[in-house]
Amino acid sequence: MHDPTQVRGSHHHDHDELVRRPGDGVLRVGIAGPVGSGKTALIEALVPVLIGRGRTPAVITNDIYTSEDAAHVRRTLDGVLDPDRIVGVETGACPHTAVRDDPTMNQAAADELTARFPAIDTLLFESGGDNLTLTFSPALVDLFLFVLDTAEGDKMPRKKGPGITECELLVINKIDIARYVRCDLGTMESDARTVRDGRPVVLTNSLTGEGLDTIADFLLAHPAATRREAAVPGAAAAQTVPA
Amino acid sequence: MNDPLPIPALLTGLQLTDSAFPSGYYTLSHGLEGYQQARAVSPRTLPALLHDLLRHGVGPADATALALAHRAVSSGDWDRLVAVERRLYATKLGREARQAAVRTGRQLLDLADEVYGTPEIGRYRELYRDGRVHGCQPVVAAAVHAGNGVPARQAVTCELFAFAASFVGAALRLRLTDHRRAQVVLHGAAPVIEEAVAAALHRELADLGGCTPMADVMAGRHERADARLFAS
Repeated sequence: MHDPTQVRGSHHHDHDELVRRPGDGVLRVGIAGPVGSGKTALIEALVPVLIGRGRTPAVITNDIYTSEDAAHVRRTLDGVLDPDRIVGVETGACPHTAVRDDPTMNQAAADELTARFPAIDTLLFESGGDNLTLTFSPALVDLFLFVLDTAEGDKMPRKKGPGITECELLVINKIDIARYVRCDLGTMESDARTVRDGRPVVLTNSLTGEGLDTIADFLLAHPAATRREAAVPGAAAAQTVPA
Repeated sequence: MNDPLPIPALLTGLQLTDSAFPSGYYTLSHGLEGYQQARAVSPRTLPALLHDLLRHGVGPADATALALAHRAVSSGDWDRLVAVERRLYATKLGREARQAAVRTGRQLLDLADEVYGTPEIGRYRELYRDGRVHGCQPVVAAAVHAGNGVPARQAVTCELFAFAASFVGAALRLRLTDHRRAQVVLHGAAPVIEEAVAAALHRELADLGGCTPMADVMAGRHERADARLFAS
């Protein structure tokens, strides 16, 4: 019999009964993680993969103080993604507030992007670098990824935090440098799966593209990725193929 | 014109209930995280839990103490205020609840003295310095509101609103709601707050104290949880 007083370590729970944002045919993905874990690099590597799968993405970055992330994405994706489809949102000095407590400015940016470019079917929201408690509002995104990297140390998953335990997909990035930073990748992955009760974990190297197809598979299997036709009949045919 | 709440007093009430006021409430979930860790609350049942805590926990305890203490301050009966606080402190069974009450109360006392500096706050500080009171937040708030000219009914309403706003804020961070629904939940609590205010204003000292055994159990579990975001 379920004991209602039994405390469990995980913060994960089912949000299915939450009233989510209305389905508009646009898959909205949050990408969170500590400063420097590789969120921007992941987006830069993921966008071409998504385009290759026939998606029409756009990117919203939440820079902490400068426009560095938005500018970096524009430079890196020059010729791949129209720079007008990459916008930055100021966070008021508080990254988690901008994507969780009061995500209205991110929603406004998304509304403006999708109004200007109706073919957009995938929106990537990059949070500002933050601590392990960052989660995305279920009213803003359909799912979110949390990016750790090996240089932070293999102890990171054991620190838990709602970002690690609640995200739909945990990414362990920079696997190529694990050996140089005394990170036991096997331990890190195993601990990550344990604290997440077996929910998905993917190992990536954004510079070589390793693991990126797995992420794309995961995102495109989400129900929000397949409701485009239902929400916007004929939308797929109207999509333009970026240069 | 008989204005029940002059603008200057109203402004102090708004200031004290503004989430930007550094009360320490941001670190509290008021028992919610314990329920969430036990998976005993969901987005659907969240409003009912808030209503129950208002009716059976914070209403009979903190709000009633505030009303009684406000009456004591207004009549200059400081011994009565001490008795109110002692009883309130004794009814808080869990360590987290006691700590939360005195930690937020002491911060409020310290800041309110600097911001408002009324004789009522000064008198309470003397009692605190003499070790006659613990600095429980609802009683400190009574001295602050009474000193600012906020009547008991409005003062209790302000504090219950601050509780409810803090509760839904914690729910948001625990992903039990989102930023839009949180506002619906908060507004939906208004009739319960009104009911709890009315009840608090009519309770006597002997009836001070909540009765929320499940919340007490959850709080006890929360004390020993291996990970948590909130202090209560």
